[in-house]
Formats: sequence, C-alpha cells, structure tokens
Amino acid sequence: MTQIMQARAMCKSYGPVRVLENVDFELDEGEAHVVIGPNGAGKTTLFRCLSGETRIDSGTITLSGSDVTALEGWQRVKSGIGRSFQVARIFGGMSAFENLIIAIETRERNKNGLRFSLRHLAPRKAVLEEAERLIGELGLEHTSDDAAENLSHGDKKRLELAMSLALKPKLLMLDEPTAGMSPSDRAEAVRLISQVRDTYGLTLLLTEHDMEVVFGLATRLTVLHQGVIIASGQPEEVRADSRVREVYLGQH
Amino acid sequence: MIDYRARFRINLAIALCGLAVFAIVPFVANSGLVFLAGLVAINIVFGLCWNFLFSGAGLLSFGHAMFFAAGAYGMAVVSLRMPELPFFLGLAFGSACGALIAMIFGYIALRRASGVYFAVLTLAFSELIHIYITKTTFLGRNDGLVGIPRPTIDLGPWVLDLTSATSYYYFIIVAMTIAAFALWCFQNSPAGRLIQAIRQDPLRTAFLGAGIRGWQLTAFVVSGTIAAFCGAVMVPFTQIASPEIAVWTVSTQPILFTLLGGAGHFWGPAVGAILFGAIAYGTRAMQGLSDITVSVLLLTVVLLIPGGLLGLWQRRRRKAGGRQPGQAGDDARPGTAAGKVEARQ
Ligand SMILES: Nc1ncnc2c1ncn2[C@@H]1O[C@H](COP(=O)(O)OP(=O)(O)OP(=O)(O)O)[C@@H](O)[C@H]1O
Ligand SMILES: [Mg+2]
Repeated sequence: MTQIMQARAMCKSYGPVRVLENVDFELDEGEAHVVIGPNGAGKTTLFRCLSGETRIDSGTITLSGSDVTALEGWQRVKSGIGRSFQVARIFGGMSAFENLIIAIETRERNKNGLRFSLRHLAPRKAVLEEAERLIGELGLEHTSDDAAENLSHGDKKRLELAMSLALKPKLLMLDEPTAGMSPSDRAEAVRLISQVRDTYGLTLLLTEHDMEVVFGLATRLTVLHQGVIIASGQPEEVRADSRVREVYLGQH
Repeated sequence: MIDYRARFRINLAIALCGLAVFAIVPFVANSGLVFLAGLVAINIVFGLCWNFLFSGAGLLSFGHAMFFAAGAYGMAVVSLRMPELPFFLGLAFGSACGALIAMIFGYIALRRASGVYFAVLTLAFSELIHIYITKTTFLGRNDGLVGIPRPTIDLGPWVLDLTSATSYYYFIIVAMTIAAFALWCFQNSPAGRLIQAIRQDPLRTAFLGAGIRGWQLTAFVVSGTIAAFCGAVMVPFTQIASPEIAVWTVSTQPILFTLLGGAGHFWGPAVGAILFGAIAYGTRAMQGLSDITVSVLLLTVVLLIPGGLLGLWQRRRRKAGGRQPGQAGDDARPGTAAGKVEARQ
C-alpha cells in the first residue's frame, strides 16, 4: 500500500517541555488511522506538527513522497491536506454559507491561479451551488443566515468538516471530531464521517477519546503516551496489548 | 441566502447619491464651502481606505499620513519639475509612491510584528517619512512645494479645463466616487472576502490553503495606494504640498472618521468625515472650538454608541423592521464586526 504521509524521528518541545520524542509515524493511503492517548499525551501536538501549524525541532515529514518539513501549513494544504481543530475554528461573523464560499474560493484560487480573484465580484454560480450542496450534505440547512458564532457546538464541528471537505483533500485530519457531543450526536457524527470517507475516498487521521467512536472508525490504531508511540496496528491487536492496558487501566 | 446583486446595486446607489449631493454644493454654497467640500470628499476616501485595512484586514495603522504625503509629494514633484508630463501620469506616479512605501514597509513590518506592535511601527515609519521630507531640499524642506498648477487635460476632441477651483472640484468628486466604489468592489470580491476571513481567524484561513502574510500585504498595499491617490488628487486643489500633511495628526484623522461613523459599516468613515467637516465649518470662527467639539463628540460616540453613527442607525432600523441580521442587504453586521472592533480598541 502506498504511504501518503511519513514522519521520521520527530521531536517537538515547547520550551523546556518535551512533548514529542523521536516519533515515527506513517499513514497509508485509504486507511482511517486513529491516534489515542491520555490527556496531555501529545496528540494535538502531533497534529500540529504533521499539518504544519508548528515547526518540528528535528526529524522529517514527507507527504506523498516529497519532503514538506520546511513548508508552512498553508503550503501543505495545497498538496492535499484538510484539517479541523480540537475547538472548531470557523469564521464567526459570517454565515455557514459564507464560510463555505471562502473555503471553495480558496481552493479554486490555488488550483486556477490568482486571476480567479479578479474577474468576478460575487461568488460564481458553480461556487454557490457547491456551497449549497455541502450545506445539504452535512445537514446545515437550518442554520440559514445565522452568524456562525451562534451555531450549536455540533453544527460548528460539522461546518468545520464541511469547510475541510470543500478543499477536496486527499487526507483529512480531525482532532477530536466528537469532543463535547452528546452520545446520540456522537453516533451521528461517526456515521457522517464514515460516509464522507466513502464518498470522497479519503484517508483519515483522527484523535479521539471516546472508545466507541474509535472502534467504530479505526482501521488502524496508534497509542501515544507521554510523547512516545507505545503501540500501533490493527485495532484489535492494540486493544489486547499489555502496555496499552496498563496506560488505560480499567478503561476497556 | 445573500443577494449579492442587490448588495452591489445598493452600494453603487449610495456612491452615486453621494456624488449627486456633492455635485449640488457649488450651486448652493460659496467658494469657501466648495473648497471645504472638496477636502471632505478626499477625506471620505482617505477614511474608507483606512477602515478597509482596519475592519477589513484587521491591521491597525497609525501611519496613514505617510501614504497621503507620498501621493501628494509625488504629484507635486511631477507637476512642478516635469510639467510636460500629462496630469494622469502625475496621479499614477503619486499613487505608485504610496504603493511602493506600503510594499517595502509592509513587507518588513508584517514579518516581525502584529497588533499594537504593528501599529507602533507604522507610526514610527510615518515619522521617518515626515523627517525625510523636512530635510530634503528637492521636496522643499519645511516650506513644502508651492504653486502647483491645476491641469488642462487634452482628451483628443475635447479639452477638459480644470484650472478653476470649481471645475477641479468636480474632478475631485468624480475621482473620489470612483475610488470609493472601486474599494467597495475590492472588499466584496473573492480576494476581499478572503482578507476579511483572515481578520476573523488567520489560522483557519491558513488551513484553507491561503498564505496569510501575502494577503495582508496585499491589503496594506491597496490601502496605501488609495491613500496616496487621495493625496495626489488633493495637491492641485490646495496648490501646495506641505510637510504638515505628513505629520502624525493626519494619521489620526481617518481613525476619527471611522470611530464617529462606525467601523462596522463600509460607509461609516464617510459619515464621520462629513460630520467632521461640518463641525470644522460650524466652528471656524472660534479658534480651538472645533477641537473641543470633536473631542466631546468622539467621547460621546465611543462611550455611548460603540459602533458609531451608522451602527446606531442600523440597530434602530433593525428594531423597527424586525429584520434578521444578515438580511439587511449591507456588507457588514455591526453587531458582530463593530462590536469586535470596539473591543479591540
Ligand atoms: N503551546 C503550548 N505551550 C506549552 N506547552 C504546551 C502547549 N501546547 C501543549 N502543551 C503541553 O504539551 C503537552 C501535550 O499537549 P497536547 O495538547 O498535544 O495533548 P493532547 O494529547 O492533545 O491532550 P488532550 O487529550 O487533552 O487534547 C501537554 O502537557 C501540554 O501542557
Ligand atoms: Mg488535544
């Protein structure tokens, strides 16, 4: 199987706090790779390093075979990454619809060059239709013209997912997509994520705390503990691993 | 859903109404008032381009005088030292001076600083330009450049004679209407939308695949170019480019207009600039009264009606009509944009 992303010997510290130590990580095309670990294990930091939000102190990251270690986040996005944040980030002052228009227009600009920004004022018809379609697909119709900052927690997460999908990424990185949701919303979110994975043919990288979500989605599971990967493999194998059981004492 | 066409038409209508009102002034007022109206028209666009940077891109500039002065001196140098060059080339050269300064300064400052630090850097750089002007003989040192002629423009079959103050006044209001509406168009284009998104959340925008710094620099250069254009258009009207237009107090003017009129609305600074002009006119007889009136008014607006006069008007209208935010047909929601803007002060 081809590898879409590969990280070698990544180290990252915030000042004196060493968060990631010598982490090797790879991501195969088409898999749904879930990273779990206790609070403060470094999952979000791993995300930030892989996506380019922050530079790593040492090590290399390659994306589809090319070295992206020195590239900034927005440049990595251009080679096919979409990501969400642990606390959903959206443009609060705009409606969900406008949020999506910005995402779609940015993708088109990256694809077709700057002239895309110059010839039209209002969003093009194709952009409007795509935004409408995404709104429908992710069930955000009821948000209509509300400013996105007034949306419910779950709707914000879904809007952020929609914005990431609008980029048509190959790899989608979701940091705790179901955090703070009720159990029923959670099940719905899992259904939605596996649905978009199938329809868009995505490779997924997730972090998650909820074990039902984890085992509902994962085709591969990696356990991070104090900045070190202690197990990685088939979900069932990892579940049976003795060190993992130690870390998650009593939890599953 | 947003009706983009209606938005375009409404704002074009606003710009044209403004033009019509200014066009009437010479028929009903004396030459002193026409002169003032011409300056107000220039100030409107000066305020608009500052607020485009502030509310549109989220960059606070305390140094817009440098662009204004760059445009003014660029125009003055062309028309005094190279009188054979056509008038429009002078305007273009003046605007290009502003663009160049914005590009150089923005490139350095945006790399190193953000927020208040960025604002302080703009102030420092603007002072540097001021000092440079007062020390350069070519630019007339402290006396400035005087006797700048108003042009006669050769348009093939027609000759446009702008040598009288009134005819040049008409040129000003047309040029400013075009500049203001062009700015509106930019702010409401795909690029303008992206710039506004960057203000709301730079990190999110970066992870949509947009290079933040490049776009902020673009916004800075657009704003600086338009400010320089204002300066370049003004110079043949007042017929002098003096170092006073590079002083920091000039940089505070668009900020005052914006606070008075409302930062959350595109046309807010226009309302502020007109009000400011009216106060200057009403208190012209008494030395110092104008400053006091402006200060009191500013305090009142900032403390009692954050969001400015247009913000107040929009809230009123919304209450009366019971309209939903976002359907108001305007380009900004004062409840969110202006509120945040005020909070950042
Ligand atoms: N910006 C920062 N500056 C300093 N320390 C940080 C910073 N961000 C995270 N840390 C520290 O790094 C460690 C790992 O944090 P990280 O957010 O990656 O954990 P996590 O696995 O995502 O946790 P959670 O499950 O709570 O989201 C924590 O000890 C945290 O305190
Ligand atoms: Mg985390």
